[in-house]
Amino acid sequence: MEIPDSTVDDKARQYAEEETLAALVSQYAGTLYRVAFSVLRNPSDAEDAVQEAFVRVLRHRDTLGEVRDQRVWLIRIVWNIVLDRKRRAKTRPETDDVSELARVLPSGGMSAEQIAVAAQHHAHVLACVDKLPAKEREVLMLSAFQELNSVEIASVLRISESSVRSRLFRARNLIAGLLDHTRSLR
Amino acid sequence: MNTPDRNSLSNHSASGNDLGAAEATLRLIASLPAPKGLEDRIQAGVLAAPRRARILAWHAAHAPASGWMRAAAAASIVFVVAGGGWGVYSLVQQPPTARVIVLPPHGAAQGGFSSAGAMRTPQTLNGPVVAHPATPQSTDSKVPGKVPAPTAPKPLRPRPPAPGNKATAQPAAPNTK
Repeated sequence: MEIPDSTVDDKARQYAEEETLAALVSQYAGTLYRVAFSVLRNPSDAEDAVQEAFVRVLRHRDTLGEVRDQRVWLIRIVWNIVLDRKRRAKTRPETDDVSELARVLPSGGMSAEQIAVAAQHHAHVLACVDKLPAKEREVLMLSAFQELNSVEIASVLRISESSVRSRLFRARNLIAGLLDHTRSLR
Repeated sequence: MNTPDRNSLSNHSASGNDLGAAEATLRLIASLPAPKGLEDRIQAGVLAAPRRARILAWHAAHAPASGWMRAAAAASIVFVVAGGGWGVYSLVQQPPTARVIVLPPHGAAQGGFSSAGAMRTPQTLNGPVVAHPATPQSTDSKVPGKVPAPTAPKPLRPRPPAPGNKATAQPAAPNTK
């Protein structure tokens, strides 16, 4: 029985695609997960977002060779996915950030009470971050990632580097004012 | 995979403890480790996802790259377009040209005054010319700037009777004989 050439080519192409995808997943899944978690703050939602990002990569695998920086490209994909999910999730009741953070944050030898206090503090800070305008909030959250410099943040958000710097300056002033205001109210 | 101190934005001076606490929280969230087995689950989920749309999947024998199918599709498109055009052309008939006398545009309609409906009557006869007697003008009126004084009306006198008009003659004197 003769095997047609097209079948062989398809199988070889599929095998190469799977190999490329496996390499991308093993290399960037952790980074994409952390980006997704910083916005969604839910482990299962973040994992779903990463999986959706790689499914999109698989659909656009023909253009994969044209991508210059795959890491920034993947972060941009997952960033758009999580922002879209965050917008849609606004209609749902918000999750309890404190208990979720207490479960996720590294304990580091702290007692349960210390962990609870730290989780409450982080939840308060994140609540203030959520009050920022969207443009400033996005830049501030991406600037927390050590892997991303200002040029790469600008590439993810599709803005100029000077805009990144000005937005970050405004975001820092705003978040400092918000935290100071809430502390004076206590 | 982390490359420390790569982010130059983090080197900006913090304005206070609040800002430092906020950045510390964000960094802590951003540096959370990924759960174990994430790569395997992601890879399995991606490979289980549908690869391509079934609706657009072509059989190999009917692939769009094959020449005969492309030529047949082009020929059918040309046939449909040409047939439709011919059908429209044959159905729509040219109407006969209307015999219309085109009047020249009215002069008044181009921006001047209108005639207000007045009709022009041609002058067919020369009417009688009335010769007015020349009225003598007083010497005062010839002086420029001097208005002639109004003349008083002359008193009426009885006109003398005409010689042959008996009806208008004075009454005859009584016969003294």
